[in-house]
Amino acid sequence: MAKKEFSFSDAMVEIDKILKEIENGNLNIDKLSGEVKQASELIRQCQKKLRTTEEEVNNIFKDLI
Amino acid sequence: MTDKLSLSELQLIIKDSIYLAMPDMYWVMAEISEIRENYAGHCYLELIEKHPDDKNVRARVKAIIWSNRYRFLKSLFENVTGEQLRSGMKVLVKIKVDYHEIYGLSLIISDIDPSYTAGEMALKRQLIIKRLEEEGVLMMNKELGFPFVPQRIAVISSASAAGYLDFTRHLKENSFGYVFYTALFEAIMQGTETEQSIINALERISVNAALFDVVAIIRGGGSQSDLSWFDNYKIAYYVTQFPLPVITGIGHEKDLSVTDLVAFRSLKTPTAVADFLIGSVSEAENYLNELSTKIAENTRTIITRYRDITESFRTKLIPVARLALSDRREQLSNRIIEIINIGKEYIIRAGFLPKNLSSRLISATGSFIFANKTCTERNRLDLISFTMSTLENVKSRLSGLENTLNILDPVNVLKRGFTLTSRDGVIIKSAGEIHEEDTIDTQFSDGQIKSKVILPQMNQEPQLQVKHTNNY
Repeated sequence: MAKKEFSFSDAMVEIDKILKEIENGNLNIDKLSGEVKQASELIRQCQKKLRTTEEEVNNIFKDLI
Repeated sequence: MTDKLSLSELQLIIKDSIYLAMPDMYWVMAEISEIRENYAGHCYLELIEKHPDDKNVRARVKAIIWSNRYRFLKSLFENVTGEQLRSGMKVLVKIKVDYHEIYGLSLIISDIDPSYTAGEMALKRQLIIKRLEEEGVLMMNKELGFPFVPQRIAVISSASAAGYLDFTRHLKENSFGYVFYTALFEAIMQGTETEQSIINALERISVNAALFDVVAIIRGGGSQSDLSWFDNYKIAYYVTQFPLPVITGIGHEKDLSVTDLVAFRSLKTPTAVADFLIGSVSEAENYLNELSTKIAENTRTIITRYRDITESFRTKLIPVARLALSDRREQLSNRIIEIINIGKEYIIRAGFLPKNLSSRLISATGSFIFANKTCTERNRLDLISFTMSTLENVKSRLSGLENTLNILDPVNVLKRGFTLTSRDGVIIKSAGEIHEEDTIDTQFSDGQIKSKVILPQMNQEPQLQVKHTNNY
């Protein structure tokens, strides 16, 4: 697999980090929009991972058995 | 040694002797080394006793449970222990020694004490647990981190097992619409081959451990299930050392096997394992939603806070801006008055009105405004409209000035009948400057005449005389 696999847990850690920054109020208003955009993109990818079948995984599993 | 015995006579003597010597029933502890049921429902066993240390067989005997007893004892035993009678099991049996002239010595079993076997199994299990504990591995699988989303599952089961089919169907039909990926690693889930078969499956999974989130060891439930195959040191040890969390669902209602005990999580049925996995993913999604809500809420709070700050700035700024504006306005009107005065002076001095004066005024005002661009747009517009109206004012005042100027223009004065008198090119402003016989020039608007003075006469008021000398 050449492409880097999206990791749900890494994404969660990243989202959590962004939330902490926002909560602590350390975030500059100019950076806020960028961070929120990044968080929502990660959330979208996580949601997608839960419900979208990756044929790649199915194929790998088929080859294993 | 005179009498000779037939073989049957001998066997009968042995049979009688045994019967006389051992007329009672005895409770005997033994290990089953072989067990089989024949077509008639009778159960044939081989019982042994092993040396506790070197495990060598130190006693061996055949035993029989007649079919009428066997049916009853079998179900009693399974009810109490949850296990089937099988080889390797330790049993306490009530026997009568029997000797048959053809088949020889055998023990006829009339009863079995299942609680003895249960106790033996528990003891065996305790020993395995103790060993794992001493090796410090008992809790190792439980201490692994559980993945956020256990979507990729390595399943150890037999393909034909109902439990396996229930498991995959349950996962697939989950009401949340989550995706799960399963790969089956087939294994024998019951009998003497269980140990090696499950270890092989675990080894195959561990080679590709990175592809999976969890391992599920599942087996169909039911009363036939034989838990003791999983009271196995080797299987349990492999599970403790496995790099992925192992979830078991090997279908036993009453007890936990050692494998269940060391697994990350043990559940009663394959369906329960599926529910657990679905629940874990759902928890992850809930957490995700929670994060998402918190981010939205906090962002809204920050934006509101900034908006309030901006609003308070604006509120504070307006009066300041108004003040600054009125200052500017005053300055501007002063400048305009200055400009008007300069313009007036200029007009009066030069005696004419430069055509581009008003446009210069506008551009000067424009650059003045430009220099004060720090005013807000609204203020700027105020200034412009104020300036434009002021300019209108200036224009109308200028055009009044122009009228006055036209009236004062010498050409227009001459046109109205006044004349200009000069002598030798010098304008004469007083009758007293003219003497008798002087030649003077009279300038009209449309020409001039030369004339000789006959009688110069001074008036008391020169202006009146000028008026008088003109033919108005």
